[in-house]
Amino acid sequence: MSNSRILPEFDLLVPQSVSEAVDMAARYGDKAAVLAGGTDLMIMLQKGTATPDYIIALGEIDDLDYIKYSKSDGLRIGALTTITQLIDNSTVKKNYPALWQACKSHSAPQIRNVATPLGNIMRASPSGDCSCALLALGARVVLEGAKGRREVLLDDFFIGYAKTARKADEIAVEILLPAVQNGLTSSFVRLTRTNFDLSKINMAVQLDMSGKTCNEARIAVGAVAPTTIRAKKAEALLKGAKITDELIKKVGSAIAKEIKPIDDVRSTAEYRREVSAVLAERAIKACL
Amino acid sequence: MKKRSITLYINGEEYTITVQAHHTLVHVLRNQLNMTDVKHCCGRGECGACTVLVDDADAPGGRKPIDACMVLAAMMDGKKITTVAGLEEDGKLHPVQQAFIDEGAVQCGFCTGGMIMKSISILEKNPKAKEDEIRSELEGNICRCTGYVKIVDAVKKAGSWSTKR
Repeated sequence: MSNSRILPEFDLLVPQSVSEAVDMAARYGDKAAVLAGGTDLMIMLQKGTATPDYIIALGEIDDLDYIKYSKSDGLRIGALTTITQLIDNSTVKKNYPALWQACKSHSAPQIRNVATPLGNIMRASPSGDCSCALLALGARVVLEGAKGRREVLLDDFFIGYAKTARKADEIAVEILLPAVQNGLTSSFVRLTRTNFDLSKINMAVQLDMSGKTCNEARIAVGAVAPTTIRAKKAEALLKGAKITDELIKKVGSAIAKEIKPIDDVRSTAEYRREVSAVLAERAIKACL
Repeated sequence: MKKRSITLYINGEEYTITVQAHHTLVHVLRNQLNMTDVKHCCGRGECGACTVLVDDADAPGGRKPIDACMVLAAMMDGKKITTVAGLEEDGKLHPVQQAFIDEGAVQCGFCTGGMIMKSISILEKNPKAKEDEIRSELEGNICRCTGYVKIVDAVKKAGSWSTKR
């Protein structure tokens, strides 16, 4: 039945609360898939790359659709919040430009109206645009499970291609981003053949600046390894340094060395290495 | 559950039906309700032929375009849905439909329903949308006759009518 437009049969579970969803996840474990927006899962069902017996659809849980910002908690994004809602949110646009740009260039309007940033994380695709921006921004995923609530830093959340640290009896309910402080800037860049395509390579940069000096940098690169990764050697070059054109070139070369891209349907390893340095330059300059 | 009883409000009519859990909205519209004005094409959210408008209090105009192939019908309980067949009012076409005719923005016609639904959402968000915005907003709608120029002209024309009124 691969590639059929009719999905294979499954048992649909429609929890009305997070605790009900957690009970279902605990009961059915690996036999269940979780559906929020569904724009990834629907395609995986069609292709047969996901074959769940049960689907836990979160769509009717009332309190999972929100964007909240405060100086004490930072930004909180609910599991049912769509990419369009983030684009239309002025706080996201102003305080988290990398995330806003990733959302803005993501897929097409009809998909953005349904797809969720948390779903982008849960898919754990190395080319996920929201995943890339959120990794650079130091996001955490909030998981609710039978044993309680825990927060996992995105750095520790992607453990392999399409694999996350979520346990089968947990439901991801929220993305948390640290509150922004003076001097913090970010940007997101990507390369695609047409805008609608998945990224050949994407990159997000967050810089903590004092004047021309970079106190701290976080660089996330996607589609260059089994997961979205941090370019830590390149980050180290920026830490405590005055940002000059020469330094930006060095950072670009460091990233090109640090990533481990492959040849695939969307690009080649050689090209990805070559353009990673260019993207680094664009992303850093966009922050300044 | 393998089946679910749901109520949909499509083009102003109420339909209470039992749907299979694994059937998408486009499948139910076409095969269960015989609403073949909604086209089923790529089935994976790439071409936009199955675009319908669904109520959303936060969206401009109170509704938003989605691909009907990307959502389960069973999860649409209580939703108000507009398809291209529901646009006409008192025998009068929607301005976007009229503009598509006037500009000759239809070739084979397969993408047209989805194009019109998406175009309406563009103008409900910004009646003065310029070429760039129209083109980027129509990114999720593919016309394989490649008639985009006239489609963009039609959206501009419909926009100019609505700002005059």
